[in-house]
Order: sequence, then C-alpha cells, then structure tokens
Amino acid sequence: MQFSFTSDQLDFASGLRDMLEREFTAARLRNVWESGSGHDPALWSHLAEMGVLSMMVPEPDGGLGGDFVDTVLLVEELGRAAVPGPVLETMVVGAVALAGTKWAGGVADGSTPVTAALLGERYLPHGAVSPLVLVAHRGAAELLENPVLGNEGIEGIDGGRVLSTLADATGGSALDVDLARLIDAGSLAAAAYLLGLSSRMLAIAGDYARDRRQFGQPIGAFQAVKHLMADALLKVEFARPAIYRAAWSFANDTPERARDVSMAKSLVSDAAQKAARSALQVHGAIGYTWECDLQLFMKKAWALVPAWGSASLHRRRVADAVLGPR
Amino acid sequence: MDLRETPEEVAFRAEARTWLAAHVPTEPLPSFDTEAGYAVHRLWEATLADAGWSAVSWPVEYGGRGADYLKWLIFEEEYWRSGAPGRVSQNGIFLLAPTIMEVGTDEQKARFLPPMARGDEVWAQAWSEPDAGSDMASIRSKGTLSDDGSEWILNGQKIWASRAVWADWCFGIFRTDPDSARHKGLTFILVPLDTPGITVRPIAQLDGDTGFGEIFFDDVHVPVGNTLGEVGKGWTVAMATAGFERGVSLRSPARFNVAVERLIALWERVGDPADDTMRDAVTDLWMQAEGYRLHTYMTVTKMLEGAAVGSESSLNKIFWSEMDVRAHELALQLLGPEAERMDGPFESWVDGFLFSLSGPIYAGTNEIQRNIIADRVLNLPRA
Repeated sequence: MQFSFTSDQLDFASGLRDMLEREFTAARLRNVWESGSGHDPALWSHLAEMGVLSMMVPEPDGGLGGDFVDTVLLVEELGRAAVPGPVLETMVVGAVALAGTKWAGGVADGSTPVTAALLGERYLPHGAVSPLVLVAHRGAAELLENPVLGNEGIEGIDGGRVLSTLADATGGSALDVDLARLIDAGSLAAAAYLLGLSSRMLAIAGDYARDRRQFGQPIGAFQAVKHLMADALLKVEFARPAIYRAAWSFANDTPERARDVSMAKSLVSDAAQKAARSALQVHGAIGYTWECDLQLFMKKAWALVPAWGSASLHRRRVADAVLGPR
Repeated sequence: MDLRETPEEVAFRAEARTWLAAHVPTEPLPSFDTEAGYAVHRLWEATLADAGWSAVSWPVEYGGRGADYLKWLIFEEEYWRSGAPGRVSQNGIFLLAPTIMEVGTDEQKARFLPPMARGDEVWAQAWSEPDAGSDMASIRSKGTLSDDGSEWILNGQKIWASRAVWADWCFGIFRTDPDSARHKGLTFILVPLDTPGITVRPIAQLDGDTGFGEIFFDDVHVPVGNTLGEVGKGWTVAMATAGFERGVSLRSPARFNVAVERLIALWERVGDPADDTMRDAVTDLWMQAEGYRLHTYMTVTKMLEGAAVGSESSLNKIFWSEMDVRAHELALQLLGPEAERMDGPFESWVDGFLFSLSGPIYAGTNEIQRNIIADRVLNLPRA
C-alpha cells in the first residue's frame, strides 16, 4: 500500500502550477471572461505544448499515455488557476472517449477541443469553441462533429464556461466506449478541478485576512475568522484523499470505481461550496463586488458544483453502493 | 500510488485476524473506568503483549514487532473489527511511548516500555490544571530540585487525568524554573503514583464512571532520572506527544469505520427505508469515516516517505471527534425511545454517545485545534 505520488507526477504538477502562476494571472482570466469567448487560445496552446492536454491520450495516438493518477494533480492545478475553456472535457473526457480513434491526435495536440453533455443536460458548455461534442444517445456515447448550436448567448454564471444549446443532438458517430465510464471520468475531472479551486479560494481569503485591518489588527487575528477558515479547510482536506483514491480506482478500473468517483464529487462539491461561502464572508462587502477577483473563482465553483452530477446525486450513488439500492 | 496491500501486508493482516479470532474475549469486558473492568482490561493487555500484539509498531526489543505504520493501521483495523476491548494502556502506548522513543534515554526505554506494553504499569496523563486547561502554558505545578540535586520535589495539582484512579504512573509537565513564564521553564517528569505525598481524588464523568481523577502533589520526591527530555524543554517534549495524539495514533480510523458499520447495521434493522433524510445522513457518515481512513493512509505514507506530520494533525482531531458525535447522534435518532435507556440492548450506543461527547473537548478542545490550524496551517496572524 502506497498512497502517494511519484516525484515525476509531483514535478509535472508543480511545473504546471509555476507556469500558471506566472502566465495566467487573475487579470488575464478576467480578460477572458470579458472577451465573451470563455476560452484562451494562447494558454490552450501552451497547455498542449507542455503535454497537459495529451497526458491521458494513449501513446499510439500521440499522447503521453498517462492514467488518471498521472493526471489528477494536473487537473487540480488547472482548478487552482480557474483555467477557462473545455479543458476537462478535452484532456480527460475527450481523451478517454476518443482513444484509438482518428480524433485522438487532435486532443493530444490541442487542435480539436472537445466538449461534452453526457447527462442529458439542457445546456452545452464550451460549444462555440469545441468542434467535437460528446453526447449520450440511447445509453451510448456518440460524437458530433461541428454540430449546429442554438440559443447562443445564454448567460452563464461562469465566464470561463460559455453555454449554448445543441440544435440537434442526433446523428453522431457511435463510439466504442462505456458511457458510465465516460461520465465517471468527467465527474472525477470536475472533482479534481474543484479541489484546486477550493484551495485557491482559501488562499485568496487568507491573503485578504492577513492584509485587511479592522479594530486595529488584521481581521485574520480574530477567532471568528480563524474558525470560519479552519472549518472550510477541514472540508477541503478531507475531500482531497477521496479524489486521489478515486483517481486510482479509475486508473485501475476497480469494482468500486463508480462509488469512489461519486464519493469524491460529493465531498468536494460540499467543500467547494463551503470554501466559496467562507472566502466571501472573510472578504465582507469587497467580496461582493464585480471588481474583486474572488468572484472569478467562486462562480467557477458554482458552475462546476452542479455540473457532472450534484453532490446529492452522487451521494445517492454512494448510498446505493454502500446501503444497497432503494 | 498503489492502494493494494502487498503480499506481506496481506499475510500480516491474516496473522492478526487469526490470533484475534482465537483470543478476543467472547463477552464484552466491563468498562475500564470501573475497578473490576480495570483489572480484567489489564489482563487483556498482558495477553496481547505476550503474543506481541500490544504495540506492533515498537521495536522487537521492547515488546513490539517493528511493524511500520501501515501495518499498525492494518492491525488496528483487524483489532476493532474483531470486537476486542478498548485499550486501558492507551495513554502510555499511544501518547507517552512515542515521546520516550523520541527523547528518552536507552535506560528509560528499557525500563518503561516493556511493562507498559503488558499493562503491568498503566499510565495516566497529567497535563491540565485547574487554571491551565485550554491555556496549558499557565501551568503552575512546581518541580524544585532537592539540595543534593538528586530529586525533584513536586507540588501542585493536576486535573482531568484519565486513568489516574487506578494507574501506576503518571506523566506530566511541571514548572521547574520558578522565574519562568508560559512555555519556558517547564520539565516533563514521570511520577509513580504510589509516591508518598500524592493524593488521587476520583472524579465521576458524565457516564458516572470514575474515568479521570485529580492528582494532588504535596512534597512528592522523585529521582531526577525520571526527567524525560531536557530540563526546561518540557513544553516541546509535551507538544511532540500532543501532536502524535491528535495525529494518527490515538484514534486510528478503524474504530470509526467499525462504528459506521454498526450504524449501517442498525439502520438496516430499525431504519425506515422510505426515510431518505436518514439514508443520506448514514451515507454521509460512511463517507466521512472512509475519508478519515484515506486521509490517515495518506498521512502515514507521507511519514514512511520521511515527511514530518505537523500541525495538520489538528485537522484529524476535529474531524474524527465531530464525526464520532454525529454517528452516535444518528444512532440515537434511529433508536427512538430506546435511546433513553442506559441498560437496554442498545446500551453501547448510549454509552458511546456519552463518550463521543468528550472527543471535541479532550486532547485540546476543537476550538484550540481551529486556532492551531488557522495559525500554523493557514498562516493567519496570531491574536
């Protein structure tokens, strides 16, 4: 039993973190939001060059051939930076869905972003920037190429996840992949992303609590603030091993894969809600403004918490696995 | 990352399971916080120790098996699953022993560890004082060197000392520099409880058992050789113990996994299958216990790879103590009117509920733990 990452895995993640801290500032994220595109093509190319997008693509398809354990820390770092665009859908869901197909190379080199609506969602995220769309049709996964989008311009809460609808979700190419496994891939990717995002929100709140002074001292010196943040950290840190374990279960396709993925998504969704609420409360009124960067991260959390199955949907899946189906 | 057990770990688990199945008392023992219960629990400790299961992670020479912490976790899983008794020696084995291993002399290790493992010497902890609870650095109990420098002369009062009523020894910190304040000038001293000048007054807990006591020191002479670690460094030595207590050792995950398995069994027996609220709540508890188990395995792997476990152990303490209360609250809710009865078929849940309520208080209240997390993990400014 060894519940840790290799130095290669850790180094890759910290390299990605350094790059994102250096290049992908909150100001740049804000520009992406304000552009209306919800996507940063230059960053996307950078991620492709680094091998982030190709990590889960099999080697014969031009990828690095990593599994979810190799990938989970990378996704966490993308979440820490609130990287916009169809990154989860491409590098995780797309990589799994399109392995061994003619489209896999475009995932690996980033030339064909992929997005997905596999749970019968009414809205498709990232549709305008993704030529390939994964959908579920009669219990199976299908691929649509350059589908016609309807109702573009629906206003979503997250400016890094622009929503549209699919005018026609039929007529896709059948894929030889298990739909349930694909949904687990997306749920776990969202969970890992939310983990990084939650840590970031607490880091932002910590910076503010050290800086902001009231009653003659930094507000972080007050117990009410300390305890608020400690409680949020508790939720985040106890979701963390559940996410890493689910990555292992997914990579090894264990019988508990679905249960473990659902546990991860359920715990981290609650943790992210708590982190967002706590970070906002620590900021007080400034946190409730458009100009405060915290909003960019909170809104990403509020978009991803319900995406890929809410905490309660995943809790029910865990209940079915642990207590037996109702 | 490999979450499978190695063949060696599988074999270790099987060996522990086989031994426990053959030796665990078939009837639950009475509480070790009663006189009769204390005596039989001591015998159980000896049975464990004689087969080398009392402290598996200790070196063989002191009565352990030299097992790494992963194997210790495996043993704990088998131990609690087997329905084995609580550990009357836990203060010694899980709190004091790691400190002795870290700062004790070879003589101290040889003198204290083997009888601790057998329950021949049971240890009480003597941290708190009437005016030094959460504010432990306010300790006033004094240690003064005798004129010839061979003995400490102890005076003062300790309180909330678990197991003090029947234990043989206690460990605690005393102010040995009269001019010192707060964390300085304290020394960690080991004291036989039958030394003249010691009076132990039992205190009945919420459950009526005399689980802890108050210890009065009135010119108590102990050899200076009973000093653990350096003179004047008692706070640092004590914090090493407290850190380990909050961390992985005192409450291994297995007991919570087992408690949740019992909760699920209770839910299956008496729960209303149409009650989704309860179904969700039980599932949440399962996830928490499982999350704690995973968190511990991650921490232990980190330790085995050479990293230190620091203040983040305060997270563990809050997590398991609140989870334990929640599990018992849910059980009582499932029990309905039976939850009012102290002696019925569900006694263990009612007792367990009362015991769980001590968790957020002992070993540093959860509010103190939140301060530690905020100060040392989140790096917020000190008050």
